[in-house]
Amino acid sequence: MIAFIIRRLLTLIPLLLGITLLVFLLMSLAPGDFLTPVKAQRDVPAELIEAIQTEFGLDQPWYVQYYKWLGNVLQGNLGHSWAYKLPVSDLIGQRIWATFLLSFCAFVFSWAIAIPLGVLAAVYKDSIFDRISAALAYAALSIPEFFLALLLVFFAAQTGWFPLGGATSIDYDYLSFGGKVLDRAHHLILPTLALGIGSVASIMRIMRANFLDTIRAGFVTTARAKGLRERVIMFKHVLRNAINPLVSAFGFAFSGLLSGALMVEIVMQYPGLGQLMYQSILREDQFVVLASVMLGCSMLVVGNLLADILLAWSDPRIRLEGKK
Amino acid sequence: MLRCRYHRICACPTIALSAIAALLLVGLVGCGKDETRVRPESVVQPIPKDALVVDFPDGKFGANIIETVAGDVATVNPLVNESVGGSVVIGRILDSLTTLDPKTGEVIPNLAKSWEVSEDRLQYTFHIREGVHWSDGQPFTAEDVVFTWQTFFAKKLDPDTGEVLTDKDGRPLYRYNSRSTFGQQINGQEPQVEMIDAHTVRFTTPEVYAPFLLFGGGVEILPKHILHEAYEDGTLMDQWSVETAINEPWKIVGLNMFVLEAYRPGERMVFARNPNYWKVNSAGQRLPYVDRIISKIVQDANSSNVAFAQGQTDFESIGPDNVAWVRRGEERFDYTVLDMGPSSTTNFIWFNLNPGNNAEGEPYVAPYKFEWFSDKRFRQAISYGINREGIIRGVFFNRADILHGYVSPKRKFWYNDDIRKYPYEIEKSRALFREMGFEYRDGDLFDGKGRRVEFSLITNSNNGLRVEMATVFKENMATLGIEVELQFLDFNTIVTKISDAFDYEACMLGLGGGAPDPYAGKDILMSGGRMHFWYPQQQTPATEWEARIDELMREVGRHTEVEVRKKYFNEVQVILAEQQPLIFLVSAKDYAGYRNRWHNVEPTPLGGVTWNTESLWAEVSE
Repeated sequence: MIAFIIRRLLTLIPLLLGITLLVFLLMSLAPGDFLTPVKAQRDVPAELIEAIQTEFGLDQPWYVQYYKWLGNVLQGNLGHSWAYKLPVSDLIGQRIWATFLLSFCAFVFSWAIAIPLGVLAAVYKDSIFDRISAALAYAALSIPEFFLALLLVFFAAQTGWFPLGGATSIDYDYLSFGGKVLDRAHHLILPTLALGIGSVASIMRIMRANFLDTIRAGFVTTARAKGLRERVIMFKHVLRNAINPLVSAFGFAFSGLLSGALMVEIVMQYPGLGQLMYQSILREDQFVVLASVMLGCSMLVVGNLLADILLAWSDPRIRLEGKK
Repeated sequence: MLRCRYHRICACPTIALSAIAALLLVGLVGCGKDETRVRPESVVQPIPKDALVVDFPDGKFGANIIETVAGDVATVNPLVNESVGGSVVIGRILDSLTTLDPKTGEVIPNLAKSWEVSEDRLQYTFHIREGVHWSDGQPFTAEDVVFTWQTFFAKKLDPDTGEVLTDKDGRPLYRYNSRSTFGQQINGQEPQVEMIDAHTVRFTTPEVYAPFLLFGGGVEILPKHILHEAYEDGTLMDQWSVETAINEPWKIVGLNMFVLEAYRPGERMVFARNPNYWKVNSAGQRLPYVDRIISKIVQDANSSNVAFAQGQTDFESIGPDNVAWVRRGEERFDYTVLDMGPSSTTNFIWFNLNPGNNAEGEPYVAPYKFEWFSDKRFRQAISYGINREGIIRGVFFNRADILHGYVSPKRKFWYNDDIRKYPYEIEKSRALFREMGFEYRDGDLFDGKGRRVEFSLITNSNNGLRVEMATVFKENMATLGIEVELQFLDFNTIVTKISDAFDYEACMLGLGGGAPDPYAGKDILMSGGRMHFWYPQQQTPATEWEARIDELMREVGRHTEVEVRKKYFNEVQVILAEQQPLIFLVSAKDYAGYRNRWHNVEPTPLGGVTWNTESLWAEVSE
């Protein structure tokens, strides 16, 4: 088991190398660099641009820049953001919790609603409830996240029940501790909905299909014949068997915790990592983009690892091996 | 049915996860408050002896301004900042020796109460207001001014020998490469600064340099007592970052009317009134009247305009494309939208006149096209063929003015109306083409050697108005029998093309106003300039008229008598109009809005609505 985890984590190294190399190459191919917008300003002296170019190493070919960056990363230094003049790790640290909270809420929201709904839809198959939930699920799946976010912003603007964006109110700093928590929660409701509804629909449909498959299996009949209580059959036997594919989906959901909210953050002006990433890409603030990409990539690997471990835990037929 | 009970069990992990989410939420709220960093008590010093008494009726204290700003700031350090948004924030906190009169555009006293210029016009002696204190209560003296200029010109030293390090051309390397490091040099030489006494500072320019009062006097003064340590240990550029703004905003100390009270990245900035500000009202009370400015950070200018149109913010500048719908809310939300007249932004087209070759040895511009473009009659003919009124009507809905030359009519003082103008006259344009030996066949224009007259025009795709202007231009050229291929490109691609690659034929761009002195345009107008769009960074002037402009611009920089400078600059404008290296189109109008609850609002075209923020006041509603 431990050998398996270590092996998985080791695969991260070539993966990160490859991805960062690709990002570096792509960014050097993209027109212009961080200083291009500065060049377009009328009162920036040419000597300053030259001096900064040398300072940032932008006058060197991309592979030399990559090599230098890699050297720094190996020493634990992710580099300085050019725009903010701050270590990239500090910059990400400022924003990471807001994004994590939002993604986590959306995650809890979607799973907490989708699993019971999926089970109910399977148990009451072909009932009115099943049909309505199916219709709603298809509707939710067909609306893109950013569009839903736009609709919710419009809703907030029309009713005035929810704030129009941000994570805190103007008077946040003067609120009591409880007031602050409530204020944050109030700001979280709409982004959580925008981010969560799509996955509610998909998880619910997967849950329903799996549950139906399992409910017809022979061991269910055996269990019933044995006289087990219906509750025990459903939750000890059926649910546990039906949930396996969802455990893998869980791994993917985890990987999106820090990078999946980008669209919603931008549309709803939620001050998280997504906005920072987006701005950095537009500005070509290289090291911030690289760190964000590395973060997303690591989360994906860790998420998959987590899914595999959970799968092994929930399904004793699966064995995780260090070697093949 | 019996299965409804299953909810209960399903709900268990849900409760657990929700509890984690709640904990996270509480944790995040808790994290915001770091008890180890305590805001120091602000020291309030007595009103300065030389306090400036503002010329506005007295008002009431205590209101807050709510506004939106488009885009987040990246730094509060003036040595690092490169964005307009950042300059606005820094400009609220830091202040300078001189400033511009928002009504006349003249240089007027600010932190310096007066100054003298020596006989030879090389020495400027500034007398600083006595008794002025920084926002943290420390005294402001001439030492701070000297320190600020030291940071610009501090050299990189060899750690072993202590000698100044130089680059391969023998120029010294600077410790802190800021915009001022190079921008404040006068033809490559540094002005000298010396402290005469605590309240007197003297600058010596290496040669007579007309815009010194404006450029040198306009430098934002940095607090020595706060930044000296960082200056010594080499971390000056890392100071006053957003990290400081978030955790220790009180360390950002200034002389202007506000200090930063709080900053939440991506969300908002809160400015509080500087308790030690040096302007007072006629009753001798310290200004400003407002307690706080709350700046909400929004995505772009459009969302900012929306917030104002819904009555959420107090002051707003409004673009010409949004003003119509913003005006609709005037009655309902009790605000006023003002026409501020022509803006200082200019829009223009130019042809690539760079005669050089690219790395493969191919000319940047096909030689026969270069022959057309470099003939001034060709450029004049194009200029006659542009229907500027049509652009104003069709693209701007009459919210723009014709731009005849380099200087926007907003800059009344330097504007020369006596230049060659190019009204929409197709016949004149055709006559010029015929004079060049071009001819028409079935309405299409061909040059003397039978080649179809066609070129491509690039402009940036993210500026809707410019894209529309380019489309009108294409139509206008079709009327002349010229085929124009439009290419809408990403802004970075455009900048690379016009400043490095030079692989384009014609380009349409706009320029913001820049500093209100003609010499601020030297990089555009002089042939060696980086922004000499049609052929930048020439070793020697490519044409006689460019050589003449170089000569005239040097005179503009060298003379301090306004009338003499004006004479030279007028000639520059005449040459530009005759030669049409830049074919000017239109200048959009500026609009500004304010909520009617504010008093002492006196908008001027130069200063906008909020130039006198210290005197603005409103009734405080309970």
